[in-house]
Amino acid sequence: MKLLTANFVQCTVKACGSSPDCFPLHFDQQSPDIPLELAHEDVDYSPEFIYNILPRIEWTALLTTARELGNAQLPEKKPEIENPHAPENEQLLKDLHTLLLETQVIQGSMRCANCGHIYFIRDSIPNFLLPGHLVQ
Amino acid sequence: MFPTPSTTKLDRERVYEPAEDSFLFLDLLQEELPFLQTRFVTANSPAPLVVELGLGSGIVTTFFHKNILPDALFIGTDINPYACHISKETSKENGNTRYFDVLRTNLWDGLRPGLVDILLFNPPYVPDVVLPSIENAVKTDDWLDFALLGGPDGMQVTSVVLDRLAEILNPVRGVAYILFCRRNRPFEVAKSMRNRGWVVDMVDERKAGWEVLSVWKFTKS
Repeated sequence: MKLLTANFVQCTVKACGSSPDCFPLHFDQQSPDIPLELAHEDVDYSPEFIYNILPRIEWTALLTTARELGNAQLPEKKPEIENPHAPENEQLLKDLHTLLLETQVIQGSMRCANCGHIYFIRDSIPNFLLPGHLVQ
Repeated sequence: MFPTPSTTKLDRERVYEPAEDSFLFLDLLQEELPFLQTRFVTANSPAPLVVELGLGSGIVTTFFHKNILPDALFIGTDINPYACHISKETSKENGNTRYFDVLRTNLWDGLRPGLVDILLFNPPYVPDVVLPSIENAVKTDDWLDFALLGGPDGMQVTSVVLDRLAEILNPVRGVAYILFCRRNRPFEVAKSMRNRGWVVDMVDERKAGWEVLSVWKFTKS
């Protein structure tokens, strides 16, 4: 699972849908059975591609996810970039490229801060199927 | 005519093999290229998020990132664990894309609401008395029926998607493409969706053996 995906998903337990705590899911507590494993996977770099993703990103949630996965380098506020090809933006866009697209969560778990439900990631695929008693 | 992606890694015992319905979907996406480009490839518009429900072999999403909107973001979902893995392989085998992830889930459970710009769904549309159950699939490790069977009128799963469409689609530019067979009564479905404020168009239909398949487009404007 690419790190960017953490910005698109939330707890799927129905009662959590209206809670602000259902997003983002948290990587801060990992299960010893499936220890967190990250990997780097090369993706072709395109400054425009990152530039076009930026408006979609919930920045505060991304900061949380990145910190929990060990990256505290992001600016506190979402950068406002006008020209993706300007030299002064290159480092930031490259860093975001590495973080969002090339960082893979191979395995681990994500926790809902509202209900505590744990979603496991195995072979890079997060599982959002709920156990029977939580399905409404 | 764009080439059909290859799916050499596919295990046909475990994941639905691309068939007439899949190919119809590919042809129609091709016809929709001008519409999709006008709607989504404009200056200063954020990258569109394409979500395919029950993506199976991954052939449709792969075709989309190869030929239709290469710079979009892609998420696929499937309840079948084998489909989750093989669809990523299919994407890689055909050149990969910058952003594609697969969630193992029912429909779009787990995705935040309102994010989807383009929803693709080739549903389990075949009428059958029973609907497959997860409990049973877990026991037998046989997930194929989820790709096929849609309850008595073949609409059980599609109805859920249509009822909740407004929740998942981007309210301004969202568009959904959904496949029907004639026994699903698509013209009646279209009428009832129009009554609920949707703009509904049949993109195309085609005879496939004794079935007549059609793909329909749903937007709010």
